[in-house]
Amino acid sequence: MTTPLSVRALRGFLCLAFLGLGACGQKEAPPPDAATIAALRPADPRLAEIYAASCLACHTMADSGAPLTGDGEQWKPRLNKGMSVLLKNVVEGVNGMPAGGQCFACTPEDYTALILFMSQPPR
Amino acid sequence: MMVSRRSLFLGMAGVAAVAGAGGWAASRVGVQPEPPAPPGQDEAGRLLWRNWSGIQTAYPAQRAAPGSEGELAALVRTAPGPLRAVGSGHSFMPLVPTPGTLVTLDRMTGLISHDKATSTAVAWGGTRLADLGAALAGIGQEMPNLPDINKQSLAGATATGTHGTGATLPALHGNITALRLVTGRGDILDCDVARNAELFQAARLGLGAFGIVTQVTLQNSPLKRVERNVWLQPLEQTLADWPRLHQAHRNIEFYYLPFTDMTAVITHDETDEPATVRPPAQDNEALLDLKKLRDWLGWSPALRRRVARQVMSGLEPERVVDESWRLLSNERPVRFNEMEFHLPLEAQVGALQEVIAAIEGQRNDVFFPIEARIVAPDDAWLSPFQGRMTGSIAVHAYYKDQYDFLYQLVEPIMRRHGGRPHWGKLNSLKRADFAALYPRFNDAAELRRQMDPEGRFLNDYLRGVFADA
Repeated sequence: MTTPLSVRALRGFLCLAFLGLGACGQKEAPPPDAATIAALRPADPRLAEIYAASCLACHTMADSGAPLTGDGEQWKPRLNKGMSVLLKNVVEGVNGMPAGGQCFACTPEDYTALILFMSQPPR
Repeated sequence: MMVSRRSLFLGMAGVAAVAGAGGWAASRVGVQPEPPAPPGQDEAGRLLWRNWSGIQTAYPAQRAAPGSEGELAALVRTAPGPLRAVGSGHSFMPLVPTPGTLVTLDRMTGLISHDKATSTAVAWGGTRLADLGAALAGIGQEMPNLPDINKQSLAGATATGTHGTGATLPALHGNITALRLVTGRGDILDCDVARNAELFQAARLGLGAFGIVTQVTLQNSPLKRVERNVWLQPLEQTLADWPRLHQAHRNIEFYYLPFTDMTAVITHDETDEPATVRPPAQDNEALLDLKKLRDWLGWSPALRRRVARQVMSGLEPERVVDESWRLLSNERPVRFNEMEFHLPLEAQVGALQEVIAAIEGQRNDVFFPIEARIVAPDDAWLSPFQGRMTGSIAVHAYYKDQYDFLYQLVEPIMRRHGGRPHWGKLNSLKRADFAALYPRFNDAAELRRQMDPEGRFLNDYLRGVFADA
């Protein structure tokens, strides 16, 4: 909680850039179906617990208007804004996204990891 | 919220043409900016907390997600105060903000036990209502009444008097038969009508001021399917029919659509009919279409009214059948601020007419539907429904819009009609007002002082409400 937000955001941005490079030249994956989206979970048990308690309720429901977990096409325009902007939007809230994304004990590192998880197509 | 099989105003191009001809300069067309946000961190590096709508903020020194009652009790004894438990942050009043410790029960969720014979179930306080509905369905039970939004935690919803609608159905806390809480001293107490009975009456709607509720025992019903019907009809007809309607349907509410003279009536009744295919939800599109109508034609109420009625005349009623927990609570991605008062039922229609006249006479910018519901009485000490059949009126403002009119125009009308504010929704009442509205308020304040003499759970707002620590 003491690391400046900007440093954490930079760390997230670097992760994102790395992911982007890794995806270069690959064909866009088709959007996953609803059952696949509902079943996706982060590999890390702690993150999986947070995801289930906070993110899943909106990011697996098309009615919520939130970008769906694993749907790279929906996430692409968000990711293009840069992780620092995404992180700011999560902390402050934007449009239908409430501040903190319903996770009240998350750190910026948690938010970054969850964004990265949700924005990746399932493997 | 209003439901339609298709968006309300699919033909917005025609509306745009009219606006272009007459009132472009006076319209709100264009991208409405986000309200100003406070910094994401304060000078000490503490991360921002904001409520769902964005108007309540805090920079807690510590955030905690205990995984057990023992962990929570230790936290209450040692963590920097005040300790405030947050459910889903859906309260518009400053119940949660704390410079001390923000506690979430997100790691204390799910069903603990149940009794099929009595249709009761014990659940962890951190369970979100959407998850609870699914879990109860799995054991053949349902909560007979649910609020409109499915995101709240069980303990947070009941702590603020969250309710649904139906003449025979009490608010959520009215179906609590027992609870367990962690007190300001870090003790773990069980409460019901026999054990710690007074604390039970105070804490089942307790604002998080009597302790942090960890477990709740609910009196549920056997799982049923319900038939939802939604239709539009003129306001005048709905108000005249209201006594008959609320006697005839298990769950019933209506929304008045500002500057249209029309209402959307929503009913849910038990049925043995098979579940129907549920069409994609379009409530939010309809809501944003009402916003578009405001944006384009807000400068001319007469034209706005005429266009709205013309477009609405083509909308068909909707019928859906499903398990009630799937239909009563919903996704609500369009954020808003809200004031809701609970009035004696006999005052509801008159107060609503006054509210509509005030808004349509002075606030052309309002577009959010105004909601009318009915709630059965209960006997919790701080329940707004205590001792009387209640008619509720809720007025909303889009989260990017000004909401000061709620205090200036709406609250005086509600108070003149004997209204009690929803504890989680906007109001300006003080301790003396609450003491006048609640016969057991002073008893509750004294019990709170005994349970938490050091004020571990009192933030600035609650200190003002109870004014005794």
